[in-house]
Amino acid sequence: MQTITLKLKDAVRSGIATVPVEVESLTPDQLFGKSEAELKAVKVWWGNREENTGDLFDVSVEGDAASADEVKIVMEGDLTRVKRIGSGMKAGEIEARGDVDMHCGALMEGGRIVVKGNANCWAGREMRGGELIIEGDAGDNLCAMYRGEMKGMTGGKVTVGGDVGECICQYMAGGEILIKGNANRLAGLNMSGGKITIEGDAELFGPDMTGGEIVMNGKVLEMMPSFKFLETATIDGVEYKKYLGDFAMGEKKAKGTLYVK
Amino acid sequence: MVEITDVVCSLCGCVCDDIVLEVENNQVTKIKRGACSVGKSKLLGHERIKSPMIRENGELKECSYDEAIKKAAEILYKSRRPLLYGWSSTVCEADSAGIELAEDIGGVVDNTATVCHGPSVLAIQDVGIPSCTLGEIKNRADLIIYWGANPAQAHANHMKRYSYVSKGYWTAEGKKGKKLVVVDVRKTMTSKMADVFIQVEQGKDYQVFSALRAILRGHEDVVPDKVAGVPKAQLLEVANMVKEAKFGITFFGMGVTQAGARHNNIVNAIQFTRAAHLHGKWSIMPMRGHYNVTGFNQVCTWQTGFPFSVDLSRGYAWYNPGETSSTDLLYREDCDAALIIASDPGAHFPGAALRHLAKIPVIQIDPYANPTTEFADVVIPAAISGIECEGGVYRMDNIPIRLRKILDTDYYVPDEEIVERIHAEVRALREKEGE
Repeated sequence: MQTITLKLKDAVRSGIATVPVEVESLTPDQLFGKSEAELKAVKVWWGNREENTGDLFDVSVEGDAASADEVKIVMEGDLTRVKRIGSGMKAGEIEARGDVDMHCGALMEGGRIVVKGNANCWAGREMRGGELIIEGDAGDNLCAMYRGEMKGMTGGKVTVGGDVGECICQYMAGGEILIKGNANRLAGLNMSGGKITIEGDAELFGPDMTGGEIVMNGKVLEMMPSFKFLETATIDGVEYKKYLGDFAMGEKKAKGTLYVK
Repeated sequence: MVEITDVVCSLCGCVCDDIVLEVENNQVTKIKRGACSVGKSKLLGHERIKSPMIRENGELKECSYDEAIKKAAEILYKSRRPLLYGWSSTVCEADSAGIELAEDIGGVVDNTATVCHGPSVLAIQDVGIPSCTLGEIKNRADLIIYWGANPAQAHANHMKRYSYVSKGYWTAEGKKGKKLVVVDVRKTMTSKMADVFIQVEQGKDYQVFSALRAILRGHEDVVPDKVAGVPKAQLLEVANMVKEAKFGITFFGMGVTQAGARHNNIVNAIQFTRAAHLHGKWSIMPMRGHYNVTGFNQVCTWQTGFPFSVDLSRGYAWYNPGETSSTDLLYREDCDAALIIASDPGAHFPGAALRHLAKIPVIQIDPYANPTTEFADVVIPAAISGIECEGGVYRMDNIPIRLRKILDTDYYVPDEEIVERIHAEVRALREKEGE
């Protein structure tokens, strides 16, 4: 097992502006097999310039790894302006100790990311596999898509300990997500597959849904006016009202299911 | 005294092109026909920025164009994340030069759509847009919906020239042969003229669109008795009007783009248009504000592939409003310099965004002083497009119209030339550093 610790230097955050650093080049699969000197020379973007990782982060390496699966990256320091943590990662683990900026775990294919804080918008964007755990809150567009893409999350597993923003899981086509807190409006917008479970309160979930399912365990603040009540259904001994929709898409496409407690 | 006809108004997205005015001693002295009260005020002219200025020890000091342009180039060249914002009250030629500059310096380029109809542009990408020209509406439309828009006050010539009150080939009776529906959160001057006024609860337009779609698709049974404060009976009434119309149009304004579900309101409005298409011919169009806000979106799409909020910092176009939009960048304190042209964020941006803008170096290019001037560090006065210089603009229905030059200036420099001269200075700085 190898642990690579990357601590953001305070100087990166000390200017008149807090220009974000973009670190999709720092994933276990890309850093596997690199010496400490090589690690420090990996390029990351800071605004419109590329910099050496070693110039922006304090780098330390402990232990050895036989494969990327055995590489764990620990990110420390103020990460609120560090974007694309674990973006596109394929294996291994990343632990972010604090709040992270946008696109954490975007395009992720495998491995595991644990965020010990809140994640800004677009975490898990177009995620294909692996596991993303956000212990705090997640922002808008969690597990949704890049502007104009017609597919959001297609696989993998996501757990959010706190609340989530608007339009989470837009165009979701597969995978599973569990929200332990509340969800802001339009969760599961344009969803065509996969499963969302919301433990807290939510409003206007599932608009333009054509497939997949949303299980609502908390309070429904407002339902969409275009879903049809079908029947009472029981899942794991709990009784739910089952709805079909979204009929705003027309009858042929209204194949999404809502289970409301 | 000279009378000039067919003058094009460079104020709002209507871009009226039938104005008649009088010029004497290189001054517009009288507007004879065509312009609305707001357009008149612009054409008659008002106080200008007199000279380029650079801020020294907190005070703006007059300087030459060359000095101001050099200073602007130094600020942009040094910047790690410059924002180039505005571009809506100038011509396409200036926009094109600005996008080229943004690409070269690795900046974020964005126009006023970001706090206006940007959500509409986003929605169009998601679901497309069935639209038409204002001329088609004038000649054909028999049902007009204004949703979250108040043209009677904001686009004063719109109804007269293009929609409810206009007379066209198949609409020779004018408003007698047409129906008007207004949807808004409160009564307005426009809603007073409407056959049906739907008063929606604040921020809940989204649900009303979904309910109308379900009804138009034959599923009125699933719609509850009241949606967002609107009785189902009224929704059925409007749905029936939609079904009976030969040619319908929805014009929508910032009451929908910047409230509640924002861009998803527009996705839903476009989907409503699609559902209405099952019954008749139907179109939809945003009520664009600045006279060339549409044009910037056109030019930016030619040059970068995306219409606004384009981040060029990594050498390719990354387009993600919410992340790359001006207000978000400033609110997050992401930018370390800004060039503001042909717009006034000082008056229109949220306080938290402005606080950061006031902290970083700001270059302003504008014919007029405005709240942005109060914190700008370099101020470069420009010739007024459509009055002192010509150029291409796009009307709200994406029709290109050429602005005319009606007055001479031997001092003020057009926006395009200012931007190109800044760019030339940036190149010179780079060459110098490369030596």
